[in-house]
Amino acid sequence: MTENKESKETKFKELVSYSEPALRNNSSVVEYCRTSMSALSGCTAGILGLTGLSGFIFYIFSVLALWGLLLFKAGNLWQKYFLNRHSLLTGGFFSGLFTYVLFWTFLYGMVHVY
Amino acid sequence: MFNLYRQIFALGILSLLHAAYSAAQHRSYLRITEQEFDGLPLDIFVQGVVSLFLSMYGILYLAGDFKEVRAIEELECKTWETLHNTPAFYIFNHRGKTLFSNKF
Amino acid sequence: MAELVLDINIRGWVFLPIVLITFLVGVIRHYVSLLITSQKKVELTQVQDSQVLIRSRMLRENGRYISKQGFYMRRHYFNNEENGYFKTQKRAAPAQTAMPDPSMMTEMLKGNVTNVLPMVVIGGWINWMFSGFVTTKVPFPLTLRFKPMLQRGIELVSLDAAWVSSASWYFLNVFGLRSIYALVLGENNAADQSRLMQDQMSGAAMSMPMDPKVAFKAEWEALEISSHKWALADLDNEVLNVLLNKSIK
Repeated sequence: MTENKESKETKFKELVSYSEPALRNNSSVVEYCRTSMSALSGCTAGILGLTGLSGFIFYIFSVLALWGLLLFKAGNLWQKYFLNRHSLLTGGFFSGLFTYVLFWTFLYGMVHVY
Repeated sequence: MFNLYRQIFALGILSLLHAAYSAAQHRSYLRITEQEFDGLPLDIFVQGVVSLFLSMYGILYLAGDFKEVRAIEELECKTWETLHNTPAFYIFNHRGKTLFSNKF
Repeated sequence: MAELVLDINIRGWVFLPIVLITFLVGVIRHYVSLLITSQKKVELTQVQDSQVLIRSRMLRENGRYISKQGFYMRRHYFNNEENGYFKTQKRAAPAQTAMPDPSMMTEMLKGNVTNVLPMVVIGGWINWMFSGFVTTKVPFPLTLRFKPMLQRGIELVSLDAAWVSSASWYFLNVFGLRSIYALVLGENNAADQSRLMQDQMSGAAMSMPMDPKVAFKAEWEALEISSHKWALADLDNEVLNVLLNKSIK
């Protein structure tokens, strides 16, 4: 029985096919999280009154935190859900930055300018 | 509707709004007393960051579950009948048409 | 530079309304476009053509797994000189060269109505209603190059480039809120995606704008030159070999 399972495992390694709907589902979930994370962290940065460079450092911090949270959600079996971890970290960096800056400016204006 | 993560998210957003309100109050207080602004008090800062993570934790689970990307995991729970079903090759023009018609 | 103090009423009556108006107009536009877009009709013959092409391609690719007789029988069905499918089916070439489809034109018009018109109307209204306010300040320093971009409607030389005028704030919102729409209206977007996927599943019927006649001709040629080579001819020996190897191991 164990031998049979082993051969099955090796076969899996040889020929791994990915299911496309699942990949798409995962990337849409990640995209959802990324957009909300950049909006929320933009709000927080605006509330905290960060200006200049510290705001951008906060964005990088939030991206790292999101990465950590996503890996935490996936558990220790992240290979089951993602092809690689790096694209999870770097993907959508600049589109998220735009959202972040908008919400940062918005909340900064609401809280600190007036 | 009222699941745990939604409540966590709502709590985080409310707390974030409260932090925003206190920051605005602090700012107007500084402006009235004509002091220079150098950073928020620590409690508002901590509240902002904590509520950010609280709401993000809620979002993380509201966004939906991950699915297995390996096709094998999905195929394993399907029966042979499901896989064997190819609608493009259905044939309706067979003897059943005559056998089970109501002509006789 | 001395810090500007803005009237607090600007926040309540200019700054916040612009954000709300932009966001809500986007939401309304989404639902209106959902209302007026019509479901694309698929022609029956088109579906038939694409399915036949798929069938013939599968026969060419996987024909070696069926018996010789089966393969030639199927090929005969498609390529027979007298009454083969590819020979007898006569499809009229789509007359799209002379004039574009009128339904296409209405689709384009609808797209314009939902996308461009609100943009112009609301933009003009915002410019007229909330003109000439300094609304907010971006929390990071910017060079003077950004002044015309961020301070549309205010021509003040001495104003720092970080201040944003109301008209520019509107445009920033228009471009920045796109990802938020994807977040808020996500369910509908997901529905669109799955509908697209269904189209792909149902035999790529939409991706057949080309002439079916040409496709039939090409497929006929390809099928004509493909011959049967049975992949399972030596199957029993192969299976025996595999089993033997396994037992030795």
